[in-house]
Amino acid sequence: MTTPAYLGEFEHLLLLAVLRLGSDAYGLDIARELDARAGRSVSRGALYTSLDRLEDKGLLRWKPSPGSLARSGMPRRLYTVTPAGLTALRAWRGTLRRMWRGLEDLLKEPTS
Amino acid sequence: MSVPVRLKPATTDATEAAAPPRLAEWLLRRTLPHGVRGETILGDLVEEWRERGGTRAATVWYWRHALSLTAGYGRRGERPAGQAQAGDRSTHMFLDNLLHDIRYAFRSYAKAPSFALVILATLALGIGASTAIFSLVNGILLQPLPLPDPDRLVYANEINSKGDRISVSWPNYLDWRARARSFDALAISRDEPVTLTGTDRAQRLRAGRVTGNLFLVLGITPVLGRGFTDDDDQPSAAPAVVLTDAFWRGQMGADRGIIGRTLTLDSVTHTIVGVLPRAFEFPRFGFPRPHDLFVSIGPIAGSPNLTDRGNHNGFSALGRLKPRVSVETADRELQAIAAGLEREYPNTNSAISVRAERLADRLVSDIRLTLLTLLGAVGFLLLIACVNVANLLIARGAARRHELAVRAALGGGRARLATQLLVESTLVSLLGGALGIAVAAWLLRLLIAVAPDGTPRLDDVRLDGTALLFALVASAVCGIVFGALPALQASGVRGRHALVRGRAAGFAAQSHRLRRGLMVVETALALVLLTGAGLMMRTLQQLTRVETGFRVDHVLTTRFQLAGAEWTVPRRHAFYADLLSRLRALPGVTNAALAYSLPIDGSNWNSIFIVGDKPVPERAKLPSAAFSPVSAGYFETLGMRLLKGRVFNATESPDSPKVVVINETLATRLWPGEDPIGKRLKQGWPETPAAIAPWREVIGVVADVKFNGIASDTPLQAYLPFAHEPSRSVAIVMRTTVAPTALAPALEGIVRGLDKDLPLFQVRTMEQMLDTSIARQRMSLLIFVVFAIVALALASVGLYGVVAHGVTERTHEIGVRMALGAEQRHVIGLVVKQGLSMAVLGTAIGVAGELALSQWVQGLLFGVTATDPRTLAAVVAMLLAVALVACYVPAWRAARVDPTMALRAE
Repeated sequence: MTTPAYLGEFEHLLLLAVLRLGSDAYGLDIARELDARAGRSVSRGALYTSLDRLEDKGLLRWKPSPGSLARSGMPRRLYTVTPAGLTALRAWRGTLRRMWRGLEDLLKEPTS
Repeated sequence: MSVPVRLKPATTDATEAAAPPRLAEWLLRRTLPHGVRGETILGDLVEEWRERGGTRAATVWYWRHALSLTAGYGRRGERPAGQAQAGDRSTHMFLDNLLHDIRYAFRSYAKAPSFALVILATLALGIGASTAIFSLVNGILLQPLPLPDPDRLVYANEINSKGDRISVSWPNYLDWRARARSFDALAISRDEPVTLTGTDRAQRLRAGRVTGNLFLVLGITPVLGRGFTDDDDQPSAAPAVVLTDAFWRGQMGADRGIIGRTLTLDSVTHTIVGVLPRAFEFPRFGFPRPHDLFVSIGPIAGSPNLTDRGNHNGFSALGRLKPRVSVETADRELQAIAAGLEREYPNTNSAISVRAERLADRLVSDIRLTLLTLLGAVGFLLLIACVNVANLLIARGAARRHELAVRAALGGGRARLATQLLVESTLVSLLGGALGIAVAAWLLRLLIAVAPDGTPRLDDVRLDGTALLFALVASAVCGIVFGALPALQASGVRGRHALVRGRAAGFAAQSHRLRRGLMVVETALALVLLTGAGLMMRTLQQLTRVETGFRVDHVLTTRFQLAGAEWTVPRRHAFYADLLSRLRALPGVTNAALAYSLPIDGSNWNSIFIVGDKPVPERAKLPSAAFSPVSAGYFETLGMRLLKGRVFNATESPDSPKVVVINETLATRLWPGEDPIGKRLKQGWPETPAAIAPWREVIGVVADVKFNGIASDTPLQAYLPFAHEPSRSVAIVMRTTVAPTALAPALEGIVRGLDKDLPLFQVRTMEQMLDTSIARQRMSLLIFVVFAIVALALASVGLYGVVAHGVTERTHEIGVRMALGAEQRHVIGLVVKQGLSMAVLGTAIGVAGELALSQWVQGLLFGVTATDPRTLAAVVAMLLAVALVACYVPAWRAARVDPTMALRAE
């Protein structure tokens, strides 16, 4: 078994967004999801090159789907997280959990 | 897992049909990965752009992300997914190298900005000037006429025994039309200015009198109403008028209900039958103003003046050839018909023939030579600029040989180095070309402003795609051809050899020989241009020195026309007398007179005549003179010299004996060695009855005046008293003590006071008329002088550069010479001699070239031959003097070389 791939912070967010969106995640939805949940307005240059990088690492894969009139007939790229992607996410979550353990009191969110 | 809320796209049909910014999309297609991968990204962007409403804000958004993607994928490079072909990779490498070369070129020019600026300025001048002149030539000579199928349009005139064009007689035209088989249609027309009355203010309009088939010939269909038909040519036809679009819009308020209404033209009621399309313009034949309207020929077709076969009433023919019939065929056919008419009507048609040519050629025949000469001149200028740039690039290549050698030694391939130098020169050429286009736009505006009035087709001149292509090609060729020389040379640097810093004598000598050769070429080209300018200068000088035969200063002229049956002969006499007395009473006016034709302006009435005491020659050899009725006071007003006898005075009245004043040329031609006073002559054919053309007695001889411009020979001239020939078309001449133009309002006031329906036209001073007549030469001179100055400046800078560079290369040698005892003047002599030898050789080649070209420019010159030795000598002297200065400065610097410094530099 190989070591799970290391994830950058933005890559982490991207994988989570794709997971949340389910089966029909494509670029525009991913950008919206990041905006809505993470408050990140992301430049398309960064978005697509990062998606490509995740694909290169084998953490994401995609299949094309035919485009609509609103897209001038251009296809969509529908993303899914690969098993390797899930493994990487789990490993990363494990790392975070271990690091968080014992700090909950110190870092708990203020209640109002 | 929550399903995201998919917003219903707020798109409308309009935004769906709309597209994001094309440029941004183009940029993206360049940089994004090919195939589905790139398209999905584009699709996402389009979709979101539409969701954002396709507004301006959405477009800004689109651009922002397009740029971020360009940056992202540009940095990332082509995705290595293994699809890239080997060809792609080599293209990629080539592009990469090119990009690198361009960056390098910018850096190296930035290190020597003055060098780059000199090259840019030189190219911008050369390319700008040539693009501007090319645009002029393209618009006037090369573009097809803006009429349907213009190559089938033919212009035809009759010609007399001397081969001069004369206008077409109406009966002859009718016979051509009936007999010729080469034409789909054959029309005639003439310019016939008319006076429009019945509106607020009487106006002089530019009209054409045309046959019914003229618009058929031109291929033009009116947009409103109808054109003329053959019925309009019948003498019984009602007078009809067709308006041009400009007149219909400008004067008739673009009223679509205008058809059937009437206009009063020259006191005759004309019915408006049609309006011509907006894009149509009838060929102007040298008139600065386009036509206002066209009138039918029917109303005058039956007049005795027109039906007399011997009268050539100012018409010219326009025909549309049948398909696949050549102009030459049509020309031959018309000549054969004319020969037949000559046999049938020997009295009127002897020695009368026809000449037919392409309308497009006829329109520009006067200016073609001028334009082609200017194009040739500007070509020389461009060559000079290119040679100068090549020289600079070679010098730079020589100065950089160390750098190139280092790069070669480090493994830079020969081709790679040459490519880089080519990229450098092409880059600077293209930049120079871009600047040149700006220069051309500016120059073209200037050229159009100084072009003489009536230059044909000036409206078709613009800086269009063809001209831009010309500039692009010119600059690319400059960059490649003239960059190739230094590139080839520099790429030949053998690394080891040139790495040894110092006197790489072999290489320096080779580069120097090339530069000296180019310098010789440049001097030769400059000499040709300078000679052209010199000859044009002499021409203009000769033209302004021409003896006009009258005092040109302080004369105001204008014209009017008395149209309509109400202007009977007695009424005309009374009007003229009244007008003259009022004009002479104007303060600032010393004299005033009336005439039918004016000097310089050309004769309005040329006619054959016979004299009483000589045998009548055969018809083809009858003498012809310019006849002009003039009032008493005419000769005094213009300051013409009386040589013999008397001029007209108050004793001439309608009933007094018929008299004539002739010019010196007529007197010596008809009565050589005799006293012409008291002799008799009669205008017209020998058989013309005396009631129409009476015998007239010569009472005086006046000095010749220039009648048709100032470059052509003075014709035979005969002046008749206005009292006997009260013409309807009249020119006023006034001699003033104040600036003549200041009196124009008073003049107009007097005429309007006498008759409110009498518009004056062509209000000009005699000096303006003279200026107009030499405007073309003036324009050529201006352009040539500017070219010559630029050429001289470029050549002297080039010469200076070559000599100065040579001095730098030879610092060591000069140091040795001086150490061995050479004096300063020897060194100066040595350097100057070598520099001047180039100039002398170039001058000799230039003189030979000029002599070879001389026959081409002779047609543009006046009073000077193209091989004028004085001009050539002056130009050679000037060029050599400038060359001497250009050589002396570096020579003087060379002579101040300190021998010890020069030797220590080793």
